[in-house]
Amino acid sequence: MSLEFLSAFKFLKKETFLHNLDPRTKLLLAITYTISALLFQEIIPLLLILITLLPVIIVGRLFKKWMKSVKGMSFLYIFIIVLNTLFIDENGLSFAIAMILRITIMISAFSLFFLTVDPNDLALSLITMKIPYEYAFSFSLAFRFVPTIAIETQNIIDAQQSRGYEMQKKGIINQIKNLFPLLVPLIVSSIKRAFNVAEALESRSFGNKKDRTFYYTIRYSLKDWIFSLYLILLLTSLIFIKINFLLMPLWFRWSLPL
Amino acid sequence: MKNKNSLPLIMVHDVDYVYSNGTIALKQVSLNINKGEFIAIMGQNGAGKTTLIRTFNGLIRPTKGSIYLEGVNIDSKTIATISKKVGVIFQNPMHQLFSNTLEDEIKFSLKNLNLDKEEIQIKVDQVLEEFDLEKYRKRSPLNLSGGESKKLAIASILCRDPDILVFDEPTLGQDAKEINFLLGLIKNELERGKTIIMVTHNIEFTVEHVPRTILMSGGQIIADGPTESIFNNEFLISKSSLIMSQIYLFKKELQKIGITIPKEVIRESEIINFLDNYLESKSTI
Repeated sequence: MSLEFLSAFKFLKKETFLHNLDPRTKLLLAITYTISALLFQEIIPLLLILITLLPVIIVGRLFKKWMKSVKGMSFLYIFIIVLNTLFIDENGLSFAIAMILRITIMISAFSLFFLTVDPNDLALSLITMKIPYEYAFSFSLAFRFVPTIAIETQNIIDAQQSRGYEMQKKGIINQIKNLFPLLVPLIVSSIKRAFNVAEALESRSFGNKKDRTFYYTIRYSLKDWIFSLYLILLLTSLIFIKINFLLMPLWFRWSLPL
Repeated sequence: MKNKNSLPLIMVHDVDYVYSNGTIALKQVSLNINKGEFIAIMGQNGAGKTTLIRTFNGLIRPTKGSIYLEGVNIDSKTIATISKKVGVIFQNPMHQLFSNTLEDEIKFSLKNLNLDKEEIQIKVDQVLEEFDLEKYRKRSPLNLSGGESKKLAIASILCRDPDILVFDEPTLGQDAKEINFLLGLIKNELERGKTIIMVTHNIEFTVEHVPRTILMSGGQIIADGPTESIFNNEFLISKSSLIMSQIYLFKKELQKIGITIPKEVIRESEIINFLDNYLESKSTI
């Protein structure tokens, strides 16, 4: 099993319009697209939402990374198609495709957020949103550990495979059972690491001063205001469409004849 | 057709490995390992040592070149099949321990060999006794000390009886008693005709006990030969970001006061013998 798709959630420093946006704008982008995706259950509106996301991905020069994350999730797509087609009598395939689009939009939006937001900036932006420093720092720390956990998962897989563990086993029960040799070491080592990090932080007087200052500061610039306005307009229009969905042309509500 | 016994046990032929981010981890690595050898692979961090040993049981497939096990290319073999012959023991034992008891942990390795229940139980009893872990049989592996969990990780590979044992930093974080236990275990396995390969930074252990050393730097093998010739070459040692052994430095100091010790003398017992003979010859004069 390759965990390469997790690299789609690892911050990558670049000089692009998207990278230079304030982390709060990018958080707004992720939230806007997540809500938008949840508004609809039909293929066409979801496809249109995904299309509006593509220029953002291209501007951020993240197309390859994005494709990798989409490819990495392909096993989930197959799972969705099989389950929906089997268990939903009416329009199962259409619903499955719509759900795939919904998940792709949500993953893409959060992938854009994680790929373009520096963990340190994330903590700063949370603090400006009046979240206590301890919580903001913990959140950015968790964010920073995503690639570390991916590497660790690969090491655990390697260690278990070295003693004959086989990843692919037939039958759902066997596959669930098969997860234990991976999940237990991963959870244990993550908890241990959390304790170690906490001790290391405390031994460096973390939380000593409540009214701390910051070396770097972040500011909402004109481009952030413009982009945020665009996102709010997009979300408002989509909510409007959802409310008046029955008034929309027929092609907008199209589904596969299955 | 060549006799199977005349072939190297492991043959690494012109292997390259490039990670997906473009990092070249191995570059034109070629290497032969014969049955019954005890080899240390050394070099600075990032030299490609761990990547190389991961190719031995198919965890990593070379980007270019091939690995042969007993003359057979392992490219088409599954990890599960190769790991019956090649047991890799990883640096961090916590990466593999997950069962409720030590007994179950060993059983997991054996169940993957499709042995029957009775055979598994016999092997579990044997291994727990051999590793002095019998008293913890029903304890959770997660409550063991660092040394004990390392022992358990080794036991869970050794119980599968692979022909080749590959250790990644086995002496790291081990106290003297645990290192001695490991040494006893290695000697025992060598006597049984097993082949042992270890990645290590432990210079003193290598100089004292390992007959063949491979030095790596920048993804390439820069030296491969008898440990005594490698550890007499200051240039190679410094190129691999290692330091000379204590015995080598001691020999240098002795040279300053006029006692010249032959190059091939690099081990503690050898130098004691040499000095005993030297002092005896001096006293008889």
